[in-house]
Amino acid sequence: MKKSDKMFPYLLLAPSALVILFVLIAPLGYSVYCSLYQCTYMRFTKFVGLDNFIKVLTNSDYLKAFGRTFYISAVSLVIALVLAVMFALWINKYSGIVAYAIQLLVLIPWVTSQVVGTLLWKWIFSEDLGVLNYLVKQVGLAPLKVLSDPKTAVGVLIFVMTWRIIGYAMVQILAGLKSIPKSVEEAAIIDGAGKWQLLRFVRLPMIKTPLLISTIILTLSNINNLTVPLSLTGGGPGTATNVITISVYRLGFENYQFGTSSALSIVLFVVTLALSIGYVKAVKYEV
Amino acid sequence: MKSDQIRISGGVPGKDSGRLPVPGNVPGKDSGQARVSGETLKKWKKWLRVYEIILFAFVLVVNLAPFLWGLLTSLKPVREVLSYPPKLFGSQVSGEHYAEVFKGTFFTGFLNSLLYSGIAIVVGLLLAVMAAYAMSRFRFHGKKMFFILILSGIPLSIGSAAMVVPNYTFFSSLGMTNQWYTLPIIYIAYNLPMAIWVIMGGLESVPVEIDEAAKIDGAGNWRILFGIVVPLSLPSMASAALYIFLGAWNEYVVSSVLVSSASLYPIQVSIYNYMGFYGIQWGPLCAAATAAVIPTLVVFAILGRMLISGLTAGAVKD
Repeated sequence: MKKSDKMFPYLLLAPSALVILFVLIAPLGYSVYCSLYQCTYMRFTKFVGLDNFIKVLTNSDYLKAFGRTFYISAVSLVIALVLAVMFALWINKYSGIVAYAIQLLVLIPWVTSQVVGTLLWKWIFSEDLGVLNYLVKQVGLAPLKVLSDPKTAVGVLIFVMTWRIIGYAMVQILAGLKSIPKSVEEAAIIDGAGKWQLLRFVRLPMIKTPLLISTIILTLSNINNLTVPLSLTGGGPGTATNVITISVYRLGFENYQFGTSSALSIVLFVVTLALSIGYVKAVKYEV
Repeated sequence: MKSDQIRISGGVPGKDSGRLPVPGNVPGKDSGQARVSGETLKKWKKWLRVYEIILFAFVLVVNLAPFLWGLLTSLKPVREVLSYPPKLFGSQVSGEHYAEVFKGTFFTGFLNSLLYSGIAIVVGLLLAVMAAYAMSRFRFHGKKMFFILILSGIPLSIGSAAMVVPNYTFFSSLGMTNQWYTLPIIYIAYNLPMAIWVIMGGLESVPVEIDEAAKIDGAGNWRILFGIVVPLSLPSMASAALYIFLGAWNEYVVSSVLVSSASLYPIQVSIYNYMGFYGIQWGPLCAAATAAVIPTLVVFAILGRMLISGLTAGAVKD
């Protein structure tokens, strides 16, 4: 083999590696550096060591925000997965154009812009002019204050987040169901498996990987979601929907405290990284 | 065709009736059905069909509700948007809101995003096809490490909130915020891991023998890649282009902090800006939102099958 041949793969990879290094990895390194300083308006004033981390991890506001984030993400994930499994089982018996059309339809919220989806939901939920309250009044009920009541605001946030992710989970699970060999299902039926037994002992075990991948990707996507809470409620009313990403955003771009917001970003990144590692382990591949 | 499938599905309650087969019977799909008279079965099928249509309509409405309501709002005359009670349709179809947003900053954002996505697709595909080719055809040191980097980059780019502050502080320390190239670089990097992954999947179906034959004929490495392999992997490149487009077109948060001149705003920021200081301008916002979603839906309708197979690659392996 010529020497140029040996270098060729590195040459091919170099541009991609540089871009990923420059936009994804170097900024994280820089954030670690920022997080060790007191930093306001991008001016590094004092080296403070791990103080920023201690500050954010002992601050009850941020801990509560983390708690809220996990709660909202988990509820949204569980609802999405249960409905996605039900949908997928339903769609599974169709094939061809019908199944394809339904998949396209449920994926629309996932592929369209989060800003657009969220703001248009906000318009529907709008308290004085929204179509929801109009319908509620037509039925004869008192108009709802969905976005200004802390309890329902959380519900609406969970609803919009779930609405966005459900199609992704359904498409993953459906692909898993379709990949189960017909002979396996038939064998189970011949052996006397009923509807629930078929689901419990044949289908669910066979769609373990798509379920796991959906869980990881969607948890990650929910925990890291800033666009939806920011455009829907902005964290309010009060702190009802103040998830951790809202805290990071406000700390950085409203209070210009880039030391502490970097520290908080790093904490969020560690959670993200743990989930990413889970994803790498779950995905089926060969190198 | 449709009615055919529904007829087949009508057999499902029998198949899934949950009864264990009676010993001695030939247990088959229809073992449960034998006890149901033809009349009842017909009724049952009819109800099942009605139930399925209702369920389907419900899914349709919930999935599309915001877009449909946004579309209807955007076509109303200006004074009717804020009138109460809201009418399902305006008294007349009006293009006022569209005229307004296409005269204003939204149109700049629209054009900017076309340009940003275009750059991201061209450069992103070039980088991705090179990297994917290296990963699928060569053995070299550090391959596994790079592979893990790509794979872990996929979920990272899906959720970008952890990257907002790092990207902002790093880019502004280098003076790279608020430039024409700022957002294309971001979009390329965020979507590169997925693009590489998708094209790698596509290269699996391009036989290695073709490369080898070309090599024997004396073609150089670069010629093999761009003259032979790239034309054969166009479907997976189209799929990768779709991912880059969706990522670039839909990104909001990082874009909103990395550029601050109105002339550089991407489309999502220009939509968001209709949530003004003096209240939300719902009419123009709905028009802008509808106009922004249409290109996504067109591309998605054409390339949807590829998107789905790219999405599920890794979850199922034949």
